[in-house]
Amino acid sequence: MKLTDEEKRMLNGDEGEVVQQCMKVLVTLGDIYEAEKMLPVNSVHSPGVSYRVTGDAGLGYVEDVSKKGGHFKVPTTLNTIGIDSKDWKKIGFPRDFSLKQLELLDAYAKLGAIPTHTCTPYLIGNVPQIGQHVAWGESSAIAFVNSVLGARTNREGGPTALAAAITGRVPAYGFHLDENRKGNYLIKVEMNLKTERDFGVLGYFTGQIAGKNVPVFEGIKERPTMECLKALSAALASSGAVALYHIVGITPEAPTVEAIMDKKYETIKFGPKEYDEVIEKKFNFSSDVDFVVFGCPHCSIVEIGRLAKLLYGKKVKSDVWICTSRQVKLLSDKMGYTDIIEKAGALIVCDTCPVLCPTSSKGYKTVVTNSAKMAHYIRGLWNVKSALIQMEDCIDTAIQGKWGGR
Amino acid sequence: MKTFEMKGRKIVEGVVEGEALVTSEPISFMGSINPKTGYVIEKGHDIEGAWLKDKILVFPCSKGSTGGSYMLYDVVKNGVGPRGIINIEAESIVVIGAIVAKLPMVDKIDISKIKTGDYIYLDATNGIVKVQRKDD
Repeated sequence: MKLTDEEKRMLNGDEGEVVQQCMKVLVTLGDIYEAEKMLPVNSVHSPGVSYRVTGDAGLGYVEDVSKKGGHFKVPTTLNTIGIDSKDWKKIGFPRDFSLKQLELLDAYAKLGAIPTHTCTPYLIGNVPQIGQHVAWGESSAIAFVNSVLGARTNREGGPTALAAAITGRVPAYGFHLDENRKGNYLIKVEMNLKTERDFGVLGYFTGQIAGKNVPVFEGIKERPTMECLKALSAALASSGAVALYHIVGITPEAPTVEAIMDKKYETIKFGPKEYDEVIEKKFNFSSDVDFVVFGCPHCSIVEIGRLAKLLYGKKVKSDVWICTSRQVKLLSDKMGYTDIIEKAGALIVCDTCPVLCPTSSKGYKTVVTNSAKMAHYIRGLWNVKSALIQMEDCIDTAIQGKWGGR
Repeated sequence: MKTFEMKGRKIVEGVVEGEALVTSEPISFMGSINPKTGYVIEKGHDIEGAWLKDKILVFPCSKGSTGGSYMLYDVVKNGVGPRGIINIEAESIVVIGAIVAKLPMVDKIDISKIKTGDYIYLDATNGIVKVQRKDD
């Protein structure tokens, strides 16, 4: 790999041990993928900020870098953590876990991180532009930033995002390069998709097929809402490892099918049959419901407004979590939504979500959610049954305390 | 006893041996695995319930959460992780986890030729996978 003089100095240790250690990680990665050079980045979103994810191993890794005096060179936002950093006692997160989590946050704070604690940093100020090279973690945000915004990132794990934040570099391979951004699967969408659940099902179906390749959707005529694109991005990166997708006529790099497809590609159909299969095989049950979850990825203020409207004057029987960033919660407080939601018996939880916080000790057996990503992960992580249903049905379910199946 | 050899690409150097645990499905170390115990917990995964400890873990590629890098590191540090990894195509999340965990790893291997229970000699430094199979 060809390094600039500045990069050589970093690798030689002229900027200290931490920078050298991080540069070594990036050069190792670049060598594996035959990168020709490094690229400067000026936006990082760091995954590996929940103690559930890092464990003591990752906590030790970040603390080591922090204690050795590491400092982030570029603006770096932090992903979702394992507790509500303000209300963890009230909500009942375990004390030992919470203290470890706060220790990890301290280490990141010393490095100069921006404590956003959200999987949707693009909703609160970390908004890369088209063609810009960035280093992002959080699988759903990666797919969003590559596909919807047209910025360029690979799927960065915790240690690479950390190294990128400290050196301001990433190796030039994968989705940073034009030739790797073309479509390998053409998904012909032969049905009308409206809700976040619909786009989640499309994403879940496609991720299973596409793996780490680039799917292109044709046949989506109306521009999906930001919330639907967020749901699609998350689902694609749950059943698969999709970092980049295109929607013909909608996303910025895909004006036409011809312009965006690679020379060779496979065509797959997605219609009502495929839709039903995802639901029937994976995410369906009928029984009493213990827990209802929204905000995977974290809710926008628009979603919270819709939820407040549905919950107005009602009482929920199931436990309900609405997960979001603290910044969005502040808006919700100001607009009176939080009041309505709490009066109905539901809870707005900031900074975290059931995928990244400790498994509840309440012994939940059944969960419904409008997020394919949440439905996918919570089954294994919390050892529960999960159903994927739309927002309005989730609220009805929470009020009745049961779901009758589709 | 049948023995054969395959050549792949070095991802992380090192020489290890152990029993193969093979799946044809991708793995997310965040979500598919409990890092404290080393068991596979993803519902419906074709190796759900399997134990990673001391295995040579053979799977096509990683998927899912970017939390997987630290979780691979954690499962290895907890002493219940695999001894080595063999992939068809190494995806960045597992690669960076394996680099940090110093876990020998190769890719570009036709994993359909390996079965769970085969004994594997993994010379990741030279990209060599030696498979030893007991007669059926």
